[in-house]
Amino acid sequence: MRFPSVNGIERPIRLSEAARRFALDSLAHKYGLETRKTPGVEFSPEETEGLTDLEKYDLAIKKIALEAPIRVCPGELVSGAATLGAAIDHKVPAFCDGKMLFWSVSHLTVDFETVVKKGVGYIEEQAKAALQKYQGTEREPFCRSALNCLTAFRLYHKRYLEALQEKPEYRGNYENLLRVPFSPSGSFYEGVQSIWFTFSFLRLCGNWPGIGRIDVLLGDLLKKDLEEGKLTLDEAREILAHLFIKGCEWICGGDYGSGDAQHYQNIVLSGTDENGLDVTNAVTYFVLDIIEETGISDFPVTVRLNQAADEKLLRRVAEVMRYGGGIVAVYNEELILRSLTEYGYPKSDAAKFSNDGCWEVQVPGKTYFSYHPFDSLLILQRETLKNYDGSVDFASFEELYSAYVKDLKTFLESLLPDKLNFKPSTPCTVVSLFEEGCLKKGLSYLEGGPIYNVYSPHIGGLADTVNFLYAVKKLVFDDKLVSFQELIGILAANWDGYDALRALAQNKYAYYGNDSDEVDSLCARLLNDFADGCDALNNRSGYIFPGGVSTFGRQLQWSKQRKACAHGRKAGEVLAANASPTPGSDRIGATAIIRSYCKCGLKRLPTGAALDIKLLPSLVKGEEGLDALVSLMRGFVTLGGFFMQPDIVDVSVLMDAQRAPENYQNLSVRVSGWNARFVTLNKEWQDMIIEQNESGR
Amino acid sequence: MKADAKAKLVVSEIQRFNMHDGPGIRTTVFLKGCSLRCQWCHNPETQNASPELLYYTKKCIACQACLVCENGVHSFADGVHHIDKSKCTACFECAAVCPASALEACGKAMTVEEICAEAEKDLAFYGEAGGITLSGGEPLFQPAAIDLLSYCKESGLNTAVDTCGYFPEDLLAPAVAATDLFLWDIKDTDDARHKQFTGVSNKTILENLKKADELGAKIKLRFILVNGVNSNEIHYEKCAELYRSLHNALKPEVIPYHAFGGVKSEFLLGKSNAKPEWIPTEDQIATFREYLGI
Repeated sequence: MRFPSVNGIERPIRLSEAARRFALDSLAHKYGLETRKTPGVEFSPEETEGLTDLEKYDLAIKKIALEAPIRVCPGELVSGAATLGAAIDHKVPAFCDGKMLFWSVSHLTVDFETVVKKGVGYIEEQAKAALQKYQGTEREPFCRSALNCLTAFRLYHKRYLEALQEKPEYRGNYENLLRVPFSPSGSFYEGVQSIWFTFSFLRLCGNWPGIGRIDVLLGDLLKKDLEEGKLTLDEAREILAHLFIKGCEWICGGDYGSGDAQHYQNIVLSGTDENGLDVTNAVTYFVLDIIEETGISDFPVTVRLNQAADEKLLRRVAEVMRYGGGIVAVYNEELILRSLTEYGYPKSDAAKFSNDGCWEVQVPGKTYFSYHPFDSLLILQRETLKNYDGSVDFASFEELYSAYVKDLKTFLESLLPDKLNFKPSTPCTVVSLFEEGCLKKGLSYLEGGPIYNVYSPHIGGLADTVNFLYAVKKLVFDDKLVSFQELIGILAANWDGYDALRALAQNKYAYYGNDSDEVDSLCARLLNDFADGCDALNNRSGYIFPGGVSTFGRQLQWSKQRKACAHGRKAGEVLAANASPTPGSDRIGATAIIRSYCKCGLKRLPTGAALDIKLLPSLVKGEEGLDALVSLMRGFVTLGGFFMQPDIVDVSVLMDAQRAPENYQNLSVRVSGWNARFVTLNKEWQDMIIEQNESGR
Repeated sequence: MKADAKAKLVVSEIQRFNMHDGPGIRTTVFLKGCSLRCQWCHNPETQNASPELLYYTKKCIACQACLVCENGVHSFADGVHHIDKSKCTACFECAAVCPASALEACGKAMTVEEICAEAEKDLAFYGEAGGITLSGGEPLFQPAAIDLLSYCKESGLNTAVDTCGYFPEDLLAPAVAATDLFLWDIKDTDDARHKQFTGVSNKTILENLKKADELGAKIKLRFILVNGVNSNEIHYEKCAELYRSLHNALKPEVIPYHAFGGVKSEFLLGKSNAKPEWIPTEDQIATFREYLGI
């Protein structure tokens, strides 16, 4: 029984044989495929006739709670399951006459702190108070819906208790589920069960919440149990592992585009509390132990680091990173805390920061979050350069740059008009229960209920826009190799017939990612202007408007509409991801990429900018490899990074590098005491390195 | 000795983010010039102390921009680029205009402070362990390497020297004073073979090693293992003795011959110096390591 790793390192064994078997079954789609068999509950048109959307929603939630299949897996330590397949597709799993009723909600981390510390019973009290307060107003229906959904949650809870009570072998589960999640959790085991049961109900109703700072949520409970001798460390780890294993219940295999593990169930570890004290505890290490052993990647983990971060923690994070897959990423919380407080968040809320399930920073349980990713390169090509129709000319780089920034700001304005005002929208009462502000205001999550309502424009194609502008500056205005109009003509011709100039544009200039101040300062300038544009629109329609940098996988779909670029790229090429360099333009290595990224003025991007770093398994081998990863993380924090995801690259990447070497200029490999750039080696040697990496030597 | 910040060195390349040239993350500075002519040299472009032209066939787009050369180094027949290195005066005008960077100047004069500034760019990543490593070539072939080491030391950088051990004795004391770790390559303990395969006697190398040790240098021996050349147990035993004789040695390493230098000699000379039959077997490596007790 083995859990695979991309680099062939054997994973350690800490969990019981039963837990490991359970994990393998779940990872092998056992429960996911089962879930797919029951897409959702069904209504007849008569049942919903004459009902408002909110009333239909309440009915759906009640039906889901009463009819969703109960699943108790063999040997499970925590119970509850999201067993309706349409939820996996981001829908409320309820159908009327075969048609979907409502989309569900994601990109948020809900308030598990209240669930664990005060219990869902506390939320029931709040809902009752809200109904009293808003009786007879237009907000009354939401308050009624809140109570209806809480009743449904109770019904669902009761069904699990009954199912567990019938089976003597689940006596422990039954007793543990009796009090939670409605009462405050009194033990670590109850805490884990409380989080899982609430999480599974939220997911059963179609939502994809993140979990957030699980070590903060459970650390004190564990400490108390350990002190009182109620639990051993191994028992506690085993319990928490079951939450992770249960969290694989939606894995169905097959091709789902961006992967089938993308349900934004993010976990954030470590960092400081509002008094600046380190929150790291045994739970922090359990999470790392569990993903190290099982390779479960369904709960992406981000670790909050700061300059004072414990060496022990960093080494542990590095050890787990080495198995590859990019499951563990890091935040530099010092920069993020400054960014949030300078943006206007109170220190106490900023200190709690978690994310939307991916990496975009938010205050959990208090934030409505949405983001608008856009292609900054397309704005340059389409708006500023008029699709290369030759109708515009610029006498200096400054003229071109100003014109572009104007177009960028015009675009940001276009995101704003009244369409952004809150309006009655899709019912989403279940998540609203777990978002502070909703019950107080009597407004749902989507209606402006939460304390913070964030609409974040995310600039994409950043490196390419910067490199493009920089290449024009060099080719036309500094080195005067072509006139502006000639260059536009060449780009319109997709570089055809201009191989030498194209090669020059690609090879002779240092672009973003090579630690060159000249181009990096242009990147910082552009991001500063972008942040100014965002600030100007802040709070203009009830939303706060903080900027970020991302593409996620959109560089693939954007590639189709992009034309040739001044930095030597042809139309349709797949270009930079997130805040990473244009593929193939970074020639120095990871430290130079991190330096370029950290020079960007990231503090003005409160929702974040992600940097992906690819490293080869052989490069992070042994003690010195661990040292290197730790040093990279320390440097990233010292230099003021935001979010970094080091990925230990799989052999398939090397094979791809053979096919398309231009995209892997900086990939270095280790050969017995010597580093070489992979793409500069001939085929024979490349093959040998691939073989070495395959065998994990 | 006060380091001369303006002293110049001929550098073939500066590589950042290296993890295998000493502890931690390191910036490796490859200096040109070496007294040895090892037949298996994996950095042949650094043997010659003066700057020279490198040509990367794979990158050439046959644009003929290099015909700016007035000495007739470059010519094209049927779209194929021919190079006559004997005519090259190392002016590098061709490299400057080559749009594809297929032609490259190998060897650039840089001042001590310029090199140190380059290494300091990654200061944030060095932590306690990392720093600068001088490699080559033989880093101590250029006496100004002492200025570089002292200057880096004064700037607070951890310093390592990857040496073949063949350098003038008068450089020894100042080098030891300014170097945190020597990565000391041992090619062969048999002097006749040493002469045959590297072109020089190992006498100076072994004497320098002994003196460096007496001066308190921290040394990591790196034994080059070449199948059919030094893959014999008499050599292994002598290496083990050498290791045991040092007072401040780190665990040594066995560096099995690999043929990657062949790729580089292709760029430089147009033909590979690779000899696959020199690659040692796993058994040979294991036996050698056993002798060394590692």
